[in-house]
Amino acid sequence: MNIVMQRLHLTHPLHFVIGLTLWSAWFVTVYGGHAVACEVIPPDPEQGVFTLVNALLLMVSLAAVALLAALTVGCYRMSKRHAGRLRFNARVSAGLYLFSTFGVLFAAMPIIGIPPCL
Amino acid sequence: MTTINREVTPPGDLPENPKRLHNDLHEIWGNPRGLKALTIVNHTTLGLRFMITGMVFFLIGGLLAMLVRTQLALSDQDFMTPDIYNQVTTMHGTVMMFLFAIPMLEGLAIYMIPKMIGARDLVCPRLTSLGYWCYLFGGIILTFSLVLEMAPDSGWFMYTPLSSSEYSPGLGSDFWLLGITFVEISALSAGVELVVSILRTRTQGMALHKMPLFAWYILAMALMIVVGFPPLILGSILLELERAAGMPFFDVAGGGDPILWQHLFWLFGHPEVYIIFLPAAGIVSTLIPVFAGRPIVGYGWVVFAIVTTGFISFGLWVHHMFTVGIPQLAQAFFSAASMLVAVPTAIQVFVWLATLWLGKPKMKLPMLWILGFLIIFVCGGLTGVMLALVPFNWQVHDTHFVVAHMHYVLVGGMFFPLIAGLYYWLPLFSGRMPSETLGKWGFWLTFIGFNTTFLIMHWTGLLGMPRRVYSYDAGMGWDIFNLISSVGGFIMSAGIAMVLLDFALHFRFGKPAKPNPWNADGLEWANSMPPSAYNFVSLPKIETRHPLWDDPDLPRTMAEGQHSLAVATHGRRETWGTDPLTGKVREIIHLPGNSWWPLFAAMALAVVCLSLLTRLYPLAVIAVVIAGLFLLRWSWENGAHPKAAPDARVAPGDPPLHSRTMDGPGLWAMSITMLANGSFFLSYLFGWFYLWTVSPEWRMPEVSPLSLMGLLLAGGSLTVGAGILEKLISGLRQQRDAGLSLGMFSTSALGFLQVGITLWVLLSADLAVTENSHDAIIMVGLAYALFHGGLGAVLTLLQGLRVGYGYVGAHAPFEPAVVAQLWRYNVATFWIIVGALAVLPRVIGS
Repeated sequence: MNIVMQRLHLTHPLHFVIGLTLWSAWFVTVYGGHAVACEVIPPDPEQGVFTLVNALLLMVSLAAVALLAALTVGCYRMSKRHAGRLRFNARVSAGLYLFSTFGVLFAAMPIIGIPPCL
Repeated sequence: MTTINREVTPPGDLPENPKRLHNDLHEIWGNPRGLKALTIVNHTTLGLRFMITGMVFFLIGGLLAMLVRTQLALSDQDFMTPDIYNQVTTMHGTVMMFLFAIPMLEGLAIYMIPKMIGARDLVCPRLTSLGYWCYLFGGIILTFSLVLEMAPDSGWFMYTPLSSSEYSPGLGSDFWLLGITFVEISALSAGVELVVSILRTRTQGMALHKMPLFAWYILAMALMIVVGFPPLILGSILLELERAAGMPFFDVAGGGDPILWQHLFWLFGHPEVYIIFLPAAGIVSTLIPVFAGRPIVGYGWVVFAIVTTGFISFGLWVHHMFTVGIPQLAQAFFSAASMLVAVPTAIQVFVWLATLWLGKPKMKLPMLWILGFLIIFVCGGLTGVMLALVPFNWQVHDTHFVVAHMHYVLVGGMFFPLIAGLYYWLPLFSGRMPSETLGKWGFWLTFIGFNTTFLIMHWTGLLGMPRRVYSYDAGMGWDIFNLISSVGGFIMSAGIAMVLLDFALHFRFGKPAKPNPWNADGLEWANSMPPSAYNFVSLPKIETRHPLWDDPDLPRTMAEGQHSLAVATHGRRETWGTDPLTGKVREIIHLPGNSWWPLFAAMALAVVCLSLLTRLYPLAVIAVVIAGLFLLRWSWENGAHPKAAPDARVAPGDPPLHSRTMDGPGLWAMSITMLANGSFFLSYLFGWFYLWTVSPEWRMPEVSPLSLMGLLLAGGSLTVGAGILEKLISGLRQQRDAGLSLGMFSTSALGFLQVGITLWVLLSADLAVTENSHDAIIMVGLAYALFHGGLGAVLTLLQGLRVGYGYVGAHAPFEPAVVAQLWRYNVATFWIIVGALAVLPRVIGS
C-alpha cells in the first residue's frame, strides 16, 4: 500500500483535480448508467428500492468512496512528511479528496431511498 | 516586429542609464498610433478595449432592461408589442451574459494577470487580438439584429423547438446561433492563453502556492471556459444545421430530441454562472486583505474552494431541467450536487469574514461595493439552495422568483465585485483617484435600487407571475409589486449612471494617485501609473505572497532595472518562461509583435458569419478559405522566422529562447486547445448516445451505412502518419534532423490519404441527413474527422516547407512537437469515432 501511495506522487498538484475528476466520473457513471439501466432493464415499480439498479449504483458509489477515502488518508499522511510547497500541495489535495468522498456519499444517499425509474 | 540584433548586455552589469533602458523597451513594445493601432497585440491595450467594449454592451443591455421594466410597470400595458418584448428580453439576457459579463471579466483578467504575476504580456498576444476582434464583430452583428427588428426572441437559452425554424422562421435564431458562436471564439482564445500564461509565465520564484489568489481564480475560470463553452458551440452548430439544412437533431419526428438542446445548453449554462462568479470572487479575495491590512485567512482553503467550485459547477446542469420529466432518482442526484456547491461558496464567505474580523478594515469606496456584494450574494446563494430542492423548484419554476434569484447571484456575485475592482484598480488604469462622493452616491442608489427591484420580485414570483410574459391582467394582484420593481430599476439605473460618470470624470478631474495608493501587496502596483506597454523594466524574483508588503522598495528597484531580463538591445519582446509548479526559470519566451493577421482573420470570419446568415454559402466557403490562409500566414511568422527570433543569442547564463527548446508555451496552448476540442468531441459523443438511448423516434438501420474497411484504412493511414511524426520528434530531441523535411511531407501525404478515404466513406454511405438524425449525426462526426485530418495534414506540410526555409530543424525543434499534439488527438478521436459510429452499432444493433 505504501509503495502504491509513493508511486502516486501525492505531493503533486495534479491531485488537486484528480479527486474531483473521480467524483465527476462517478457522477456521470451513476447518472448515465441509471438512465441506460432504466431503458434496458427497467425494474417493476412495486419492487421499491430493492432493485438490481439500486444495488449496482450503490456498489459503484461505495467503490468510489473507498478509493477517495484511501487517497484522502494518503495525502494527509504525506502532508505530515513534508514542509513548504509540498506540504501545501498534499494538504489541499487531502481536503479535496475528503470533499470528493463526502460528495459521493451525499449525492449517493438517494440511491437507498428512491426507486430508480419512477 | 523589428529585430535589432545588437549585442546583448553583459551579465552582471546593471544598466547605466535606466531611462535609456525604458526608451529601448518602449521602442520594442510601444503601441503605434493611427491606423496601425489596429495591429496592437499588447495585453494592456487589448484588456482596456475589452472592458470599454463590454461597458458599451452593458449600457445596451441595461437599456433593454429598462424597456422591460417600463412594459411591466403597470398591468395591461401596450408600450411594446409581444414580438418586440420577446426580442428585448431575449437580447437583454444574451447581451448581459455573452457580450458583457464574460468579455468584461476576461478583459480585466487580460489586463491584470501579466501585471500580477510579473510578466510583460500574455503568452499569445496575437490570440488576444483575434479574440478581441471576434468579440467586437460578433457583438456588432448580434446587436444589429435589434436595429433590424429581427433579433432572436426565444429566450437567452434558445430552447428548441421554440427556436427551431418551424416556430422561429425568421433570422432571429440564426443571429443568435452564429453571432454567439463567433463571440465564443473570443472567450475560448482568452481561456486558452490565460491558462498557459498563468502556468508558464509567472516571474522567477513564484511557485504555485505563492501565486496571487486572483490568478488562481482566473486559472479556474479559464479552464472552465475551455471545458464549458464547447457543448454550447456544438449545440449551436447542430441547431443551425437543423435550421439551415434541415438536419433533424432536435426534431422528434426525425429521430431527434429537443431535450438534447437543453442538456447541451445547460452543460455550458450552469458552469457559466460560476465562470462569471469566480473572477468576481477573485476580486473580493484580492481587495479584502488589502483593506483589512492583513493577509487573507486560509489561503489554502480558498484554493480548495476555487477548485471545488470549478468542478462541482459542472455537475448541476440538470437542476435547470427538473420539470422536463426526468426520473426522481436522477433529480435527487442533481439536487444533492446543487446543494454541495454551497459548501465551497460558504467557505469563501467565512474566509472573507474572518479576514475582516482579524484585520482593521478601512471603509474606502471599493470596500462599500464589497460589503454590498456580501449581503446580496449571500441572499442569492440561499435562494439557490431553495431552488436546489426539487419540490420547491417545481413550484417556482419559470416564475419571477427564479428571475430574482438569478439577478441576486449574477448582479450581486459579479457586478458589485466588478465595480469594487474597477474602483480599486482605477488609479492603475489612469494614475488618478475616483471621487468618493460621487462613488458613494452611485453605490447607495445602485444598492437600494437593486434590492427594491429584485427583492420584491421574489414575491411577484411566489404569487405566480411567470417569466417572459409581456403583460398581465389587473386582477392578478401583481400590479403593486411590479410597479415597485420598476421604480427600483430606474433608481438602480441612476446609481449606475453616477458610477459611470465618476469613471469618466476621474480621467480629467481625479486627484493624481500616489504610488500604491491603497498600500496593496500585489505586484501590479509595481507598475507605473498608467502602466507602460512592457509592464516592468526588470522581472524580480518573488518568493512571497505579498511582494510589496515584504519589500516596499520593489517598484523602484524594478524600474531601475536591478532585476532580471533588463535587456532590450536584442530587439525582442521577452518574458520569463518558468516551471508551472516551482517558478524556476526554464526559458526566455519571445513574444510576437504587432500584427495585422488577427484583424484580417477576424474580418474574414465575420464575412463567414454574415454569409451564413444570408445563406450565401459559396461566399461563406470562400471566406473560410481566406480566413484559413490568414491564420496559416500568421503561424508562418513564428520561431526562427525573420519577423520572430532569427537570432537566438542570449546573455551568457540565461536560459535559451523557447523556440529553441522542446517545451515552449505553444505546446501548452495546443494541449489546452485540445482540452477544449475534447470537450466538444465528448459533447458530440454524448449527443450520439443520448439520441440512440432516449430519442423516441430514433431509427438505427439494420446495416451500418459506413464502410468499416474504408474507415480502418483511413485510421491506419492516420496512425502510421502519427508514428512517423513521433519518430521525427524523437530524433529532434536528440538534435538529429536528417530527413526531417521528407518525413514531414510523408506524414502530410498520409494525412491527406486519410482525408481522401474518409471522404469516400462519407460520400459512399449515401446518408439521408435531412430525414433522420442517425444519418445527420454520422455526417457531423465524419465532418469532424475530415476537418481535423485535413488540418493536421496542412500543418505538417507547412512544417516540411519550414524545414526547407531553415525555420525548423535541430536548431529550432519546437514546432513539430506542437503539431504532433494535434496528430495524437486526431488518432485518438478518429478511432473513437470508428468505434462509436461504425463498430458499436454492428455489435449491439438498434
